[in-house]
Amino acid sequence: MTDMSLSGRAAIVGLGATEFSKNSGRTELRLAMESTLAALADAGIDPSEVEGFSSYTMDKVPDYEIARLLGCKNVKFFSQIPHGGGAACAPVVHAAMAVATGLAKVVVVFRAMNERSWYRFGTGTYGFGSTPIFENVNYGWYMPYGFHTPAAWVGMFAQRYMHEYGATSEDFGRVSVAVRDFAATNPAAFFYGKPITLEEHQASKWIAEPLRLLDCCQESDGAVAMVITSVERARDLKQKPVIIKAGSQGITEGQQSMTSYYRDDISGLPEMGVVAKELYAQSGLGPEAFQTAVIYDHFTPFVLPQLEEFGFCKRGEARDFIRAGEHARGGKLPINTHGGQLGEAYIHGMNGVAEAVRQVRGTAANQVADVENVLVTAGTGVPTSGLILGVA
Amino acid sequence: MAEQEWMSEVRAKVGREYGRVYAWDEVNAPMIRQWCEVMGVDNPLYLDADHAATTEFGGIVAPPAMLQAWCLEGLHMNNYAPGSTDENPYEVLKTLEAHGYPSVVAVNSDLSFERYVKLGEKLYYTTRLDAVGEEKTTALGTGYFVTLIMSFFSQKPEGDEKVGQLLFRVFKFRPANVPKPVEKGAAPAVPKFKRPKPGISDDTRFFWEGVDAGKLLIQRCTCCGTLRHPPAPVCIKCHSFDWDTVEASGKGQLYSFVVMHYPEVPPFEHPNPIGLIELDEGVRLIAGLVGVKRGEIRIGQRVQVEFQSFDDGELTLPMFRPVAA
Amino acid sequence: MTSKNSKRFDDVRPGEALPELAIPITTTLIASAAIATRDYFPGHHDMEAAQQLGSPHVFMNILTTSGLSQRFVEGWAGPAARFKDLKIKLGAPNYPGDTMTFSGEVVRTDAASREVEIALKGKNSMGSHVTGTATLVLP
Repeated sequence: MTDMSLSGRAAIVGLGATEFSKNSGRTELRLAMESTLAALADAGIDPSEVEGFSSYTMDKVPDYEIARLLGCKNVKFFSQIPHGGGAACAPVVHAAMAVATGLAKVVVVFRAMNERSWYRFGTGTYGFGSTPIFENVNYGWYMPYGFHTPAAWVGMFAQRYMHEYGATSEDFGRVSVAVRDFAATNPAAFFYGKPITLEEHQASKWIAEPLRLLDCCQESDGAVAMVITSVERARDLKQKPVIIKAGSQGITEGQQSMTSYYRDDISGLPEMGVVAKELYAQSGLGPEAFQTAVIYDHFTPFVLPQLEEFGFCKRGEARDFIRAGEHARGGKLPINTHGGQLGEAYIHGMNGVAEAVRQVRGTAANQVADVENVLVTAGTGVPTSGLILGVA
Repeated sequence: MAEQEWMSEVRAKVGREYGRVYAWDEVNAPMIRQWCEVMGVDNPLYLDADHAATTEFGGIVAPPAMLQAWCLEGLHMNNYAPGSTDENPYEVLKTLEAHGYPSVVAVNSDLSFERYVKLGEKLYYTTRLDAVGEEKTTALGTGYFVTLIMSFFSQKPEGDEKVGQLLFRVFKFRPANVPKPVEKGAAPAVPKFKRPKPGISDDTRFFWEGVDAGKLLIQRCTCCGTLRHPPAPVCIKCHSFDWDTVEASGKGQLYSFVVMHYPEVPPFEHPNPIGLIELDEGVRLIAGLVGVKRGEIRIGQRVQVEFQSFDDGELTLPMFRPVAA
Repeated sequence: MTSKNSKRFDDVRPGEALPELAIPITTTLIASAAIATRDYFPGHHDMEAAQQLGSPHVFMNILTTSGLSQRFVEGWAGPAARFKDLKIKLGAPNYPGDTMTFSGEVVRTDAASREVEIALKGKNSMGSHVTGTATLVLP
């Protein structure tokens, strides 16, 4: 019988990125091309061999333009994944499926954005109109109240989580302090050399109570691209293959995008639970199999329920895990060793996938010892995705 | 990105002190009186010699916020009073301008006062280029925050005396959108900011019509009786497309909340408290909170709906106010 | 306007709110106050010049905002109060036809120095025109 599993069929073989900044000074198309060409060169694969693309619906660089500029002649697969940062791991999942089925032999995934310098997500001003398409109607429940920023939408979950489990603003701060500690020693991070203290976190201004400024990720310009091909081909390429051991997307009951407030319980992230269950089933691995993880950190509070959904601790006990420093440098499960989106850059989570690749390769700035498997998660509060990457 | 080479020239100037700029006029009663008249200040300390004589100053003093005004050059640009330096304390701004950062906006004006100044005092200031920040991008554009510190002195035969200081920070930038001259003759108008209107569809119209009529309506499946909010065309339980509505009691409890502080987006007041309300009927909805004090909002507290009109009656929204349990 | 009765330090508590002050913004106020502060920049008195800069109309200068902030605080504190500092941050511009409403509260008191710190904010229809603090010494 043919093995229909995704696990172990494809590998990430090339990695490219631009610098991360607040103002790239060049077009998003150029950023996409710089990172894509760097990823292909890193892999040692000729651009003309690319047969597929995957990115985010929110990416404004079209796949066909990259194909045109690369000189691709035989592109048979292209997909875009919606829901903002919830996409983060999904282009790799789609690419792995395309490779596993033989539809495309080489797939490029990318995310390129001048989010900080061209259009900011956190301004609270959006052009929702009156045409009764779903999005306009849906945000109509929130916009008239001025309930209009991602930080505020996350804050509503966070307040309830604090109420139910006794987590505090300091616990959120401990997430921020730990990832900024990693950023401080990652030369690619925007906050390289700039660690923070818990006191600084507690003194930072309110954005949307219970979230403070230092609970919120950066806004950034930059691009990341990766090349995915079969594990067979990966063996003969330049880099140590990073095997895609599992991948999934997730939606579950009561799902909305940022506003799943109508579920019986809003203190968990059940869509991440769907991803967790599927990743563990595909890979045959469990929480003890990871030496490090990249846990999506656009806002610190959602790091806690993610640790719970993946079974690193029991429901409601992530605060204890964090108070013990298990997520920090030297802990049981150091997370976001690149500095996360709080410390390295906000490239919609794709820079987190890149960090997992480096950890598996053994080339990370804050390399964890003897890495075999790395968990990567995508945007929280939205339909999401996840990946397990590891050594062959 | 590595910084442009010319910026090192700018940075080398940080810390530099620039020479004196003198006031054209001594501190005098007519200018003080006119300033107070326009500002609407009627403090007798600045205006009434008899009252001022009874104070520790023994006579009229200048309003502290006037400090900087004494030393401005006046109608003709760079026409400084005799004795002033030839150096340009703002040369860094000119350098930035020459390298493509033409626009400027004042960000901070921090005045501090050693003492009030009396009639007849002759003032001057010196300037220190205190800081030039890293390149930043704001909603306005990309550029540099430049901080100048001006120290104000009163000239005295026995030795000049510092009377106050102004920390002045500007953002010198390349605009994100090149400002377009407003068309001549166009009616100048202060932009009026209104609350965004909700998008309304056939599935949700009943709710907003109910709100306009002062009713909080919840959708109900006529097949299985399940209540649902936000509204949807089909029942989440039995998938029937048939529904009617029930009027909610408007009573409920606070299930969660946020208090929004930043960014401050008009026309909303900040801090802006928002609640996730669990109605007694069992459904939840998001709404603004009224009559709450920051720091005293509690999950579980009882709330009651009330309907508020916004933007001259263009929009009515259900809001919730705490009530006794 | 300044109340002739001065606040006394012992009567002031942190959290005390200052009475709101609404100031109608007119072309006359903007232009005359710019001149009274010796600021002849055309954007503060010449509408066409302001429009060349992309503004819908003349806009208030900073020295006027400082002056009005002083008025707001002094109006509450009275003539015996002495300013130690007045620190303001600028936001949305003040254009004619708008109204700026000041609000403020006592955020700190220090018995040893009899100092009182006021946080103030002036809002117009576009949002916050000015936020800041003033430190006063009260009798």
